Amino acid sequence: MSTTMIRGYTQAMSYDEQSALDGLRNLNAQSIGAVYDQYFPEVFRYVRYRLNNDTVAEDITSDVFVRLLEALEKKQGPRSNIKGWLIATASNVVNDHLRRMYRRPTETLSDSMEDKSTNIHAEVDLREQNHAVKAAYAQLTSDQQHVLALRFGQGYSLEETASYMKKKVNAVKALQFRALASLQRLIGEVSYE
Amino acid sequence: MNKLYETLDVCLKEIDQGADVDTVLFSYPELADELRPILEASVKAKEMAVQAPSDDIVKRNRAKLLQHASQMREQKSAPNSRRVWTVPLRRALVTLMVVALLFVSSTNLVRAASTTLPGDSLYPVKRTWEDMSLFFTFDTTKREELELEYENERLDEVHELFTEGRSADVDFAGYVTRQSGTEWRVSGITVFVSAQTRVSDQQVDVGSAVQVRGKIQNNMSVMAESIQLLPQGSKLPEIEDNELESDDENEDENEGLNLPIVENAGTQSEGDAEQVYKADLSQPKSETVSGPVTSIVNKFMIVNGISMDISHAEINGVLKVGVSVQAEGYYDSNGVFIVTKVEVKNSSVNSENESNSNDDSKQDDGHADESDDD
Repeated sequence: MSTTMIRGYTQAMSYDEQSALDGLRNLNAQSIGAVYDQYFPEVFRYVRYRLNNDTVAEDITSDVFVRLLEALEKKQGPRSNIKGWLIATASNVVNDHLRRMYRRPTETLSDSMEDKSTNIHAEVDLREQNHAVKAAYAQLTSDQQHVLALRFGQGYSLEETASYMKKKVNAVKALQFRALASLQRLIGEVSYE
Repeated sequence: MNKLYETLDVCLKEIDQGADVDTVLFSYPELADELRPILEASVKAKEMAVQAPSDDIVKRNRAKLLQHASQMREQKSAPNSRRVWTVPLRRALVTLMVVALLFVSSTNLVRAASTTLPGDSLYPVKRTWEDMSLFFTFDTTKREELELEYENERLDEVHELFTEGRSADVDFAGYVTRQSGTEWRVSGITVFVSAQTRVSDQQVDVGSAVQVRGKIQNNMSVMAESIQLLPQGSKLPEIEDNELESDDENEDENEGLNLPIVENAGTQSEGDAEQVYKADLSQPKSETVSGPVTSIVNKFMIVNGISMDISHAEINGVLKVGVSVQAEGYYDSNGVFIVTKVEVKNSSVNSENESNSNDDSKQDDGHADESDDD
């Protein structure tokens, strides 16, 4: 079931993915621009959802696209589904980043969760709420964070999420359940601080 | 468990379509308690959703990406040309370094090798050293001088091998000064050719510059394995080979090869002296030997048991076995008696002695031909 669904997504692309890939391999500026325009916002939003920091999100997203070019040059990288590759790579880079951050003793979790983009005029309640949720989210496992980011951050369907995560749909169903359950529990715990 | 997950998914879809949590849970009363927190969390998760990046962010990163791409393009094209340029340069540098090292570290070896001859184990070192010196001599004039020096060295080596009576494979260059049948002479060295000798396709004449490769033989000659014509203008030692000018006592000019003498050992003998090649040769003493000729083979005759080289000799009279002669000449550095002049005593002038057998007189008369009677 999932395979047909995946193909459906690639064919839904408005521009020609194959010729875009060819252009990317040749480092053709027009192709690069087209792919960027198509996917940058989406990837950025994913990364930003995971990391809650605009600057870092920008850097990482940028890095993901560079990696795309470099992988294609080495005859690696995506053969068809560019978005899938971008999302998977973004997930890996974010995970690496988070791992590195947690190793640094000076940086506390609350610091890393600082939301610089929050409107200062937002209601205090919401801010606190947001803060609590984000703090809780940050404590989820990378897989849990990933599934939530894809399902609720990006709004991808179960099937699409399953394809990006390279998991079966049923596995994603179970995962999203557990992720949400943990999130809720953690929010409750955070709220008690 | 699956039912729970399924139900959750259905509820999530309904919430997506706008329903609120309570309404959705209404349909699943038995799971409501379990699902409520989950659904609430999902709402919060959705609320965390991020806005699309600002135009600034988009433009900035687009430019960054394109710039990176152009850098990648440059790197793709540039390395090829750089690679082409640096590889031979690197090789040349490495070679230079190796040679410089050899220069420094192997001077003792080179010194030891400098007097070696073909057949010695260190001889290859000598040749390599010479080749290297040539390679690194960039000035054309100096290089030609050096080449000449080395060609002379090749000839010296051959003569030294003759003296030592050693056989070895040799390789030298020179001018053909004589060709008589299978016996040639190249720059003062006797070279024998055979049916097996590989000779240049083009005509090799007297006066041609040739490269001779062959083996030293017992009779102080070289058996040529190959004789190759050298290109015009080859710089070769110009040896004065007296064969060409037995009557010409002029040391300077050589007919046909019109060039200065390379090395003149300054002989004192009256007649033409065969050019000697060693710089520090003592001057040959002129001697006269008289006696009957007991044999004549090639260019050698035996008088009083002494083997004499008559190839350059001025012969007065009819020289044949049995005649009595007075031979003037000298012993060369090889210990060979080189005859400069032969006077056949039993000529028509003195017909009496011809009938007499001269075998009795074995002593060396020494001087004039008057001392027939003892």
